[in-house]
Amino acid sequence: MRINTRSLTLCAVLTALALGLSTLENLFPITLVIPLPGVKLGLANIVTVFALYALGTGPAVGILLGRCLLGSIFAGNFSALLFSLLGGFSAILMMIALHHMPGLSIFGVSIGGAAAHNIGQIAAAMITLGSTAVLGYLPILLGVSLFTGALTGFVASLLFRAMRHIHFQTGDTSYG
Amino acid sequence: MKRFSCMLLALVTILLLTACGSQQKLQTHQIFAMDTVMDFAVYGGDSQGFFTAATQEINRLEALLSRTKAESDISRINGGGTVTVSEETAELLQEALYYAQLTDGAFDMTVAPLVNAWGIHTEAPRVLTQDEIASLLPLVGSEHLHLDGTTVSLDEGCSIDLGGIAKGYASVRLAQLFEVYGIQGGWVSLGGNVYTYGTRDGKAPWLVSIRDPSSPAGAAVMVGLSNQFAVTSGGYQRYFTAEDGTVYQHILDPKTGAPAQSDLLSVTIICPDGTMADAYSTALYVMGAQGAADFWRSHSSNFDMILITADGQLLYTPGLENSLTLEEGGRYEARPLT
Amino acid sequence: MKHAPLPKLRPTIWDGLVAALVLVLAVGTAVLFYGNLDHGDQLTAVITHRGETVENVVLASLQEEKIIHIDGQYHLTIALHPDGVQVTQSDCPGQDCLHTGTIRRGGQSIICLPEQVVIRLEGSGGPDLVLG
Repeated sequence: MRINTRSLTLCAVLTALALGLSTLENLFPITLVIPLPGVKLGLANIVTVFALYALGTGPAVGILLGRCLLGSIFAGNFSALLFSLLGGFSAILMMIALHHMPGLSIFGVSIGGAAAHNIGQIAAAMITLGSTAVLGYLPILLGVSLFTGALTGFVASLLFRAMRHIHFQTGDTSYG
Repeated sequence: MKRFSCMLLALVTILLLTACGSQQKLQTHQIFAMDTVMDFAVYGGDSQGFFTAATQEINRLEALLSRTKAESDISRINGGGTVTVSEETAELLQEALYYAQLTDGAFDMTVAPLVNAWGIHTEAPRVLTQDEIASLLPLVGSEHLHLDGTTVSLDEGCSIDLGGIAKGYASVRLAQLFEVYGIQGGWVSLGGNVYTYGTRDGKAPWLVSIRDPSSPAGAAVMVGLSNQFAVTSGGYQRYFTAEDGTVYQHILDPKTGAPAQSDLLSVTIICPDGTMADAYSTALYVMGAQGAADFWRSHSSNFDMILITADGQLLYTPGLENSLTLEEGGRYEARPLT
Repeated sequence: MKHAPLPKLRPTIWDGLVAALVLVLAVGTAVLFYGNLDHGDQLTAVITHRGETVENVVLASLQEEKIIHIDGQYHLTIALHPDGVQVTQSDCPGQDCLHTGTIRRGGQSIICLPEQVVIRLEGSGGPDLVLG
């Protein structure tokens, strides 16, 4: 993979955007409804979806890793790192698999990613708390992921619509 | 699509496995031993290990203390002559003698000859005549048991029965297993002898329903217990009806040699020692309401109790005030003892 | 570096399938986790005979009285109603199971020692255990 300044900058901007979204969703903590420390809606997955399609697997994973590490450093909370890593990587693995499916639109990919995100978070909670009791929240979280998945899919689709004429081929990008 | 379905399948499998590994659910186990039904219920920790160990311990104690197993220490003592018993049996006999003295003979393991003659625990109980009782009564009394270290002998014609204390002692033994197997909470119920460990859900104590003696399918009162022993004795638990219609209940008064003429329907003892709870519940039933209340006043720091009387009162010790839940529209008038 | 084609931006029927699968997973895990908790809040009679469970009946599901016969050394007749369980006949010595009467609440049980029959009601927020 050749890295040029433009794609590096783009990755950095997207990482910053993902961090911003992570911070934003802290303002609407789902933990009020589901009292599990570390569980999040996964709005930052919008960036992952976008990067996956626009830039490819490698940059998408890189952005995700950067977001998780920086996010936990900013929050000064390393137990949250496990949550965001397990959640984020479950989501991205699921979406990498799904976005090769010819029939699926960005909505299906996002919903699958959101569901995987929540399963990863529950796994992190089980590891942190050393208890399987948290599995009881999984059905609720999976239900929630239908909406958050559709939401991230919708936002990402708006994004692609707006940028229909922009070509994001790394290394060979031409605007307009 | 293939890859996708494989992935989903893998996820579902992982979920199934972790769900099966969940130990937070209450696990139960039931055995029949010591002539009664025993229930164990635990959550968290090694429940199977606990059940196995508990069953082994009960079987071991039954082999040691049963009056019907020919090889048991108790049967060998009852067989006559001077015998050597295990240290554990000797200690339990010592304890039984202590409670006999403390309750002024209201609890007495040497009442066995009369229990046998009445046959209340057998399939063919019968009513004894006054002469029969009079001839057997001299065989009752702690002075007939000679205990020196682990050497035991009984006077001619006498016999002992640890039925009034053995299950209580067994509950004490089982209580020690909870920690060994990393159990978070649970209880054992050995035919009316209960031990509760920890809490029912990490917060609230175990909710124990005390049976209504007048209507054994219902509850007289509920009591929340945590890390305590509880034993209930009552005439309603086992009885037979003679040909003339008289009802004879199973708890004998060692003084009269006949079923206790108690004005109590049941006695529940709650305390931190299961053996004591077992001995006291029988003794205080025999003593009757007044005697039981007097006994509690002179030993009030040791135990709590609930008395249900034949005239419809439910008397409880003040220590239970906050853990009792009375049945709505209950048939008993509840008030604390003073 | 190979790229996937740009995404389809309109939902397709296959997206519905993904959503449906997530929903199935949600319901499935819900059933797995909550399904075996005392049958929810329904009063269930569990009858065991010599350690083996012979009947497991949700009382509310009974349309009429259900009679169960236990035959071993002794013979018991058990009547299950929507609101309780009772032993109606037994030739066992002691007859404790008959004396107990009808049980109606979670945590209560009828026990026949001679034939080793235990009838236990579970669920419906009753006490954890019964003493006496």
